[in-house]
Amino acid sequence: MRRALIAAIASMALALPAAAQQVGGRMTLQAYAGIFRDNYTQVVVNPFTSARGTQVQYHDGGTSAQMLGTLRAQKADPQIDVTIMDVTTAAIACAEGLVERIDASVLPVIGELDQMARDSGGACGPAVTYDHLVMIYDTRSVTPAPTRWEAMWDPAQRGRVALSAPPNIQGLALTAILAHAASGNWRNVGAAMPRLRELAPNVQTFDPNPDGYTLILNDQVRFATGWNARAQLYRDQSQGRIGVVLPEEGTAFQVNTINLVAGSKNRQQALAFMAHALSAEAQKAFTERMYYGPTNPRAQVSAEAMGRTALAPEFRNRVIPLDWNEMVRLRDNWNQRWRREVIAASGR
Amino acid sequence: MSAWLLMLPAVLLMAAGFLYPVALLARISLNRTNDMGAMEPAHSLETLGRLVEDEFTWELAWNTATLAASSALMATALALPVALLIRGAAPRWRGLLSLMAVAPLLVSGTARIVGWMAILGDRGLINAVLAGLGLAEEPLRLINNWTGVRIGLVESLMPYACLVLIAGLGRLDARLEEAAATLGATRFRTFLRVTLPLAAPALLAAFLLTFVLGVSAFVTPRLMGGGRVFVVATEIFDLALETVDWPAAAAMAMLLLGALAAAMLLRGLLGRRAA
Repeated sequence: MRRALIAAIASMALALPAAAQQVGGRMTLQAYAGIFRDNYTQVVVNPFTSARGTQVQYHDGGTSAQMLGTLRAQKADPQIDVTIMDVTTAAIACAEGLVERIDASVLPVIGELDQMARDSGGACGPAVTYDHLVMIYDTRSVTPAPTRWEAMWDPAQRGRVALSAPPNIQGLALTAILAHAASGNWRNVGAAMPRLRELAPNVQTFDPNPDGYTLILNDQVRFATGWNARAQLYRDQSQGRIGVVLPEEGTAFQVNTINLVAGSKNRQQALAFMAHALSAEAQKAFTERMYYGPTNPRAQVSAEAMGRTALAPEFRNRVIPLDWNEMVRLRDNWNQRWRREVIAASGR
Repeated sequence: MSAWLLMLPAVLLMAAGFLYPVALLARISLNRTNDMGAMEPAHSLETLGRLVEDEFTWELAWNTATLAASSALMATALALPVALLIRGAAPRWRGLLSLMAVAPLLVSGTARIVGWMAILGDRGLINAVLAGLGLAEEPLRLINNWTGVRIGLVESLMPYACLVLIAGLGRLDARLEEAAATLGATRFRTFLRVTLPLAAPALLAAFLLTFVLGVSAFVTPRLMGGGRVFVVATEIFDLALETVDWPAAAAMAMLLLGALAAAMLLRGLLGRRAA
């Protein structure tokens, strides 16, 4: 009898935290479509649903700008509870009051995140993933494996390079990297322009469609720029046909933040999901699945997976100190200079 | 009174589906975008003024107008022989031939462009044939530039020009051409002096329709221009979805709408004066 009583008390004690954690209900997450959705659902969303009983409806948001459009359109009656978008667009959403200001007092897990993750979101949601710009190339036709951006300048690659020109953020990041490599200051666009003009004749397209990975696989180009996480995944899917390089001249982080939508109808579930997404477990799982850098340093990521992110010790000093919020103020000028000085010089 | 009542559903549909979104767009164009990229509510013509003062806006307008005019001209010119052939065909074949002429409209515009990319690409069909025959060492640059956009746009506008010309030429009185032939005119002279002048209104209508479609074309310049072709529609896309500057995108759209409305009004006035 006593044993049974102790067992009952013990099982109640074990069940209590679980019951306290149980959230239930439903919520809507807005984030990127395609392979991001597939992988995020499997390793972050589904475990959350299993643990908390909360049904998560995943809304394919398209690009961050399209997600911002959805938030603006739904401002009076939000249908989204949590949104994951890039840091510059999230800053706009924050300034327009479309997402809530949030800190560790509301979401304690924020206290576990690294400083850059906390700073990235400003007063609103913190960074949830780090990604970075990489050079991708066709391993069948480019040998030996390149280690520097400079490989794209090779005259033998005339018409075999695909770049995403500004206002696309890949073009802005590449410009900042080249400026930093040439002058030590990523803002010094004047230092990057001569290099970009030299590269222009090699460029087949400044707007790769559908994307650089597909153009390489279809033998249309040999080099392109890309974001590391997707590039790593495409490398695996193509059995190594697509090569991925974090070039010696440097790279720049692209940061995604996670935000609580202002006026969320499922605030409790939304906060629980954010806590889960930022937890060490979810961060580890997503990094090992898709090679986004974790923002929670407590995530015990395997050395193999970490080695394929810019957070690996050997790569950290290659990341230039680019401030995307400052970039917003510079980009119109950079965009115009690209059009006048780089694209016009491509002579196709 | 009953005529007005009959029009009411169409008027309501137009108001809900066109006038309201345009009014919304006009309202957004009066807002401002601050240094951080956030949109601030305002009632200001500042954004519109900034665009009008920007040289690049006028370059875009010129690019758009010349691309649309040249493509519309080419599409109309290429559609004319097709329409004449259909007009001259036996009645039982006309339906089938007309359907074939407009068949490209049954395929998604994006899918057609993907096909063009496979044909015109640096490693596409044409360059493969040229290289195979030893006629070209370097690939011809047929895509990711203005040439590619013109080819794609002419192809996508041709079915519309065909539709207008088939309808317009179908109304021509064939007896006038027979009379010219009776009086000794050659077929070419008959075409030049009788058919063509009579077909002028249909040709003008085909040109105007394809010009308007060309001005607002987005998919072809975007997918076949390789980031080198800047027209108003691609700029509106970039402003709305890359830099997230909605007031500027809306103001640019209002400028385009205004220019098109002015062109149509001018065409109406000139037509009335000619009549």
